[in-house]
Amino acid sequence: MSLVIGVDIGNSTTEACIAEVGTGEVRRLASSLTATTGVKGTPANSAGAATAVRRALEAAGRSSATPATVLLNEATPVISGLAMETITETIITESTMIGHNPDTPGGEGLGVGMTVTLAETAEVELDTPVVVVVGAGADFDDVAGALNRALERGVDVVAAVMHGDDAVLVVNRLTRRIPVVDEVSAVDRVPLGMLAAVEVAPPGRTIRTLSDSYGLASTFDLDAEQTRQVSPVARALSGNRSAVVVRTPAGDVTDRRIPVGTLTLTGSGRTLDVGVDVGADAIMEAIGRVAPLSDVHGEAGTHVGGMLANVRDTMTDVTGQPGSEIRIRDVLAVDTLVPAVVRGGLAGEVSKENAVALAAMVRTSRSRMQAVADALATEIGCETVIGGVEGEVAVRGALTTPGSSVPIAIIDMGGGSTDAALLDRDGTVSAVHVAGAGELVTKLIDSELGLEDREAAESVKRHPLAKVESFFHVRHEDGTVQFFTEPLSPHVFAKVVTVTPDGLSPVPVRGSLESVRGVRREAKRRVFVVNALRALAQVAPQGSLRLLGSVVLLGGSALDFEIPGMVAHALAPYGVVCGIGNVHGTEGPRNAVAAGLVDAYAGTSAGPAPEKVAVS
Amino acid sequence: MSTPTADSVRTLSLREIGPAERGTRADEVVIALSPAFGDPFTKTIVDVPHAEVIRQLLAGIEERGGTARVIKVYRTADLAAVAHLGAKLSGSGIAVGVLSRGTTVLHQRDLARLSNLELFPQAPLLDAEVFRMIGANAAQYAQGQSPKPVPTRNDQMARPRWQAKAALLHLKEFDCIDKDRAAVEVEPVITTVD
Repeated sequence: MSLVIGVDIGNSTTEACIAEVGTGEVRRLASSLTATTGVKGTPANSAGAATAVRRALEAAGRSSATPATVLLNEATPVISGLAMETITETIITESTMIGHNPDTPGGEGLGVGMTVTLAETAEVELDTPVVVVVGAGADFDDVAGALNRALERGVDVVAAVMHGDDAVLVVNRLTRRIPVVDEVSAVDRVPLGMLAAVEVAPPGRTIRTLSDSYGLASTFDLDAEQTRQVSPVARALSGNRSAVVVRTPAGDVTDRRIPVGTLTLTGSGRTLDVGVDVGADAIMEAIGRVAPLSDVHGEAGTHVGGMLANVRDTMTDVTGQPGSEIRIRDVLAVDTLVPAVVRGGLAGEVSKENAVALAAMVRTSRSRMQAVADALATEIGCETVIGGVEGEVAVRGALTTPGSSVPIAIIDMGGGSTDAALLDRDGTVSAVHVAGAGELVTKLIDSELGLEDREAAESVKRHPLAKVESFFHVRHEDGTVQFFTEPLSPHVFAKVVTVTPDGLSPVPVRGSLESVRGVRREAKRRVFVVNALRALAQVAPQGSLRLLGSVVLLGGSALDFEIPGMVAHALAPYGVVCGIGNVHGTEGPRNAVAAGLVDAYAGTSAGPAPEKVAVS
Repeated sequence: MSTPTADSVRTLSLREIGPAERGTRADEVVIALSPAFGDPFTKTIVDVPHAEVIRQLLAGIEERGGTARVIKVYRTADLAAVAHLGAKLSGSGIAVGVLSRGTTVLHQRDLARLSNLELFPQAPLLDAEVFRMIGANAAQYAQGQSPKPVPTRNDQMARPRWQAKAALLHLKEFDCIDKDRAAVEVEPVITTVD
């Protein structure tokens, strides 16, 4: 019996599996896990690999001086990049509308009249309806007093627009109930002497007139051509509880598409240019037309171009290959929405703008594992062997999952890329790597929720949500209530929180638990489910998922609380058995490659044994 | 945001309605005042009139659709104790505690007395606008929402500049403690004097 340690250097973790190997038998002793040092497949990995080996020896209760054989996987560097381009913007011209939807507008109903300042109410003609525009610094009692005096004189005050958060206070003090929209930060830019309409809906409802093209036409007496012109205003206001529309000579709301450069896709002997602003579906469709993709370039000066260039540069630094030889083999584009401030808005209106997130991946065949093997041999004083292409070894490890059988496909869901491999009945293994994995999910959650906090986004991705309803109970996202005997910390009170192993952690958003959950699940679906189907289709016999027998999920994201279920659900219609890997029936989705290396060395299952390498 | 016009001054008197009792409305906020609030003191350490403090707190609560009761505490001038007593009497469990010199805290009845939801320890930095936001947040907590905490200002010089005055005001407030007098519910009456 000899002592063998399989070491798998992955993008983010380095795993080791220690076993005693005799002829045709393997007795596994222990496994260990540590963070990968440096980019996978580079000499910098030695430190992490040495740590993993030492920890494995320690866990197995062997002294580090025990002579052992260390098996390393043929790790090749994979570098992935992410970029996001906002492709639409909303512009309001001539201050024609206010649609910031304040929390507490006052009164309800629709008021249409001429815009006047509070001071002018003393001079206006009695029979013209007026919309009073109240500037900054006015006290609610004074405003209510002035408006009541105007009403008493017979001035037809039909609505008001205010700077401060005073709408409810003013309406509560008025003798006539009028709709009031408040918190308009640039109230001084509201055009005066123009016809304006103010609408406020009852709590829990949305406006009906100003969010409808014909409603606007009836309100402002518009003809067909003018109605066509104002229809973007109606669209921009739909879903609001309150709104103001001012009829100005050329006021408009435009939803403009921002040109953000092009992607040049090369593949199957063709080159195709596609604008990033056409959206994710069109980009993915273009990639499909040039499949298999052989390279991608982005336009200089754009986020996407910068990201692609950066990916190439990093790979050049890592491998020493010239940038011209590095090819980007896969790109995943995902449509997303990002909150952005509306240009020309009077009240800091935020609209959800369309954006495209792109993940790109580059890998090379040039591995520098020999340098890692040499360094490890010197440091630990052991024999080192390099062998086994990752996909093949991982499949071998996955096959030890109880209940799995050939043909078997694996999906390794990591941080930067999603890898798939298939072991067919005749023993052939095919493997693909596609761009987009955990990091992209984090980025989508971060931007869609407007968190601008990677840590918080990571927490939302990893943990289920709950709402703290009192100091002694929370309601989990599935509706169950959990009580506590000790009061919870004040900083989570009334907040949407993530339930982490270290306790509750607040999510800095204003939205409801349901909206955060929706964003999280949709981000995971658009990356992991889409990529699982995309990668499996590339390795499946004749591209048909129905011909796959079992699919085993591996990698860190297979430990996620909902991703495996979502992928399994998506694969169910194809009659595929899909589940989380359980390497050797004990290791879960981790350690497949390390265990596979040991098994291959012992020759316990089919496949080529790793080639022996000279020992220093 | 809202400052009284220069030519009119609002004054506050607190009309006693009876002993402070526990509220039943699930969305109410209790404003708990310290022994010297309103009488004999009439303004905070930076001369914000007490009338304005109460008016803005009530306005913040009203704007957010909440209801409020005001109580005055006589047995202690310790802010945590004043606010926690208010929280225990509040139908929603939420209270705003205010000292005469302006120091304010947002409290909840299930919290330990020296804990808090939001604390505004530097009285010299609290103006009408901040009191409005504190009122608005109190109403939102009472409604089970999660408002963004009121941004707390910080001034390194506040301590050296105001410490002596704060100490004097503190001593004067402590003179107004009446150990034998239970907390009372009051109705704030604000009158405008030209």
